[in-house]
Amino acid sequence: MTPSMDNDIALSAVDLVKVYPSAARPALDKLSLRVKRGSIFGLLGPNGAGKTTLISILCTLLRPTAGSAAVFGQDVVRQAGSVRQTIGLVPQDIALYPTLTARENLRYFARIQRLPGRDIEARVDKCLATVGLLDQADRRVASFSGGMKRRANLAAGILHQPELLFLDEPTVGIDAQSRNLILDRLAELNQAGMTLIYTTHYMEEVQQLCDDIAIVDSGKVIARGAPRALLAEQDTCQNLEELFLVLTGKQLRD
Amino acid sequence: MLLLANIKKELLLLSRDRAGLLVLFVMPMLLVLVLSLVQDDLFRASGQAATRAVFVNLDQGSAGVDFAAQLEATGALELVREDSGQKISADQARQLVLSGNYQFALVVPKDFSHALETSAESTVRAALREQSSDPHTERLLVYFDPAVRGVYRSAVTTALQQGLLALEIKRKSAALGRLLPEELQRTIKKQLGPYGAQGIPIKVPQLDSAWASKPLVKLDEESVFADKYPTLPTSVQQNVPAWTLFGMFFIVIPLAGTLIRERQEGTLARLMTMPVSNRSLLLGKVSAYLLICLVQFGLMLAVGKFILPLLGTPVLELGSAPLALLLVAFSAALAACGYGILVGVLARSYDQASTFGSVSVVIAAAMGGVMVPVYVMPRAMQALSVFSPLGWGLDAFLDIFVRNGTLQSVLGYVAALVLFFLVCLGFALVVFQRWRRGI
Repeated sequence: MTPSMDNDIALSAVDLVKVYPSAARPALDKLSLRVKRGSIFGLLGPNGAGKTTLISILCTLLRPTAGSAAVFGQDVVRQAGSVRQTIGLVPQDIALYPTLTARENLRYFARIQRLPGRDIEARVDKCLATVGLLDQADRRVASFSGGMKRRANLAAGILHQPELLFLDEPTVGIDAQSRNLILDRLAELNQAGMTLIYTTHYMEEVQQLCDDIAIVDSGKVIARGAPRALLAEQDTCQNLEELFLVLTGKQLRD
Repeated sequence: MLLLANIKKELLLLSRDRAGLLVLFVMPMLLVLVLSLVQDDLFRASGQAATRAVFVNLDQGSAGVDFAAQLEATGALELVREDSGQKISADQARQLVLSGNYQFALVVPKDFSHALETSAESTVRAALREQSSDPHTERLLVYFDPAVRGVYRSAVTTALQQGLLALEIKRKSAALGRLLPEELQRTIKKQLGPYGAQGIPIKVPQLDSAWASKPLVKLDEESVFADKYPTLPTSVQQNVPAWTLFGMFFIVIPLAGTLIRERQEGTLARLMTMPVSNRSLLLGKVSAYLLICLVQFGLMLAVGKFILPLLGTPVLELGSAPLALLLVAFSAALAACGYGILVGVLARSYDQASTFGSVSVVIAAAMGGVMVPVYVMPRAMQALSVFSPLGWGLDAFLDIFVRNGTLQSVLGYVAALVLFFLVCLGFALVVFQRWRRGI
């Protein structure tokens, strides 16, 4: 199996293996995956399941030990430069400069994304407005609340209107209002054509947002499909959280 | 455009970091100010200016005055006889040394002249009569500050002994001049017996004591320094470039810190998923900090040129090759930034970078002659100093400031500094590339 060149496929991974030096077992163990263009794909799994490793490989941050992956048909290792022009990342960390204002941060990332100089200010304002931070644009990020930081983090990821956006737990540790705003905006971005790869531990978010999910454990995909279809397969599970616990077990993952 | 964006971002970040700015600008300025002032006396004591010493002359004859004249004639000592318009007593002299105001004091005893002349006469008389003599040895009191270093103390002692020797020779010559005719007459009369000398006037030559003070050999002093130290710098010429370089290399800490913070905060991961080259990211940092280093350099020169002279030190002479000076400053700044980038990619935490960065810079500074000039280091350390980039920079600056160096004469140092930068940047790019590939 080789990564797909199909125009409908945003992302494909074939037999991906990642072994970290001195690790007892692989972080990814022959993981294969295909994600349709225009979908909101939920990537679920307990801590240490391999979600962040998978996203890092797909974002060109990490090289796989074996296997291959492609974004819109471009190999993430051999054509990393081209892949980077099509993707956006909203990492789990607040990947912003805390001593700069939200506007200064976004301006900088816009230049690095090579947006035309004349468009930068308008684009920065639009992204800040999208996440509800336009009136706070000139405050330093360090002075933001947790929710504001998460929203600014999202704004930096969508500045260049990527075709594929990776979101690594973008709503962790924030209040219901900020979470609601982020989920609404993500749905809008998807409606505008952006493919989203979404990882989270909040199952209700996945149920609300994602049309396709994969549950990953020990570096392998153990369940795959639409949330409703997966629930239908397990009669005993009332919701996605119960299904998740049935599939991955109740033992702690530290 | 990417490079400019990176430079602008780095400068913005730095402008928001007050502690970082303090380290970069205030610390080197304080170092230059304090160390130039503290070491000014030391540099003077090393032979640039006369050493000031308290001189108490209790002698009632001329020997004390002669001795003082002998010492002052060497040009190495400036004798201080009064304090606040009052003659200094022996006790006060001791107190002045004890309080650290002077490194040493001399007290010439009351009957110094008389004792010296009596001893000289008895020694000469005994010699002429082929008798043994054991003249009274007069004592000259010297108070030393116990903190005075051994070399300095022995240099002063040697100068005093030379002065005393000259004084003794003069007194012995005078005694010889006086006693020789007398002894000749006495000997001749004794040898001719009671008859031979009768009626014969015995004329013996009179000796003038001036011959004793005329030197037969003149000491021709020439400093045999290594080729690169034919002349020595003033405290300002040594300290301003030395501590400026130290401050410039301390840029390692904030520069490495930005890379580590970007790694820890996740911004570097975000940047690495963007279409930007490693070279552009690293050169953006280098360029911004290069600018900071050059501003630092300009400020330090201004301190040496305008502020330090107000506090009594010599003015910083900048030599006559401004282009060479700028080139050396630029290459030293490049070397410092290259090293900062290398530390930033190799260190795993800010603590690691700040500890390793500061310790390695202090070691390189010590080896390169920033703390103690290379020319006073032991030979082994002088040999090691050639491995210090701070030493290359300092030698180049001193060449321009002290020895009227030109662009041509500092080109070797400039090349070494630029090469050091390129090697550091090359290593950093290799490590950075490995990060980006996730190896």
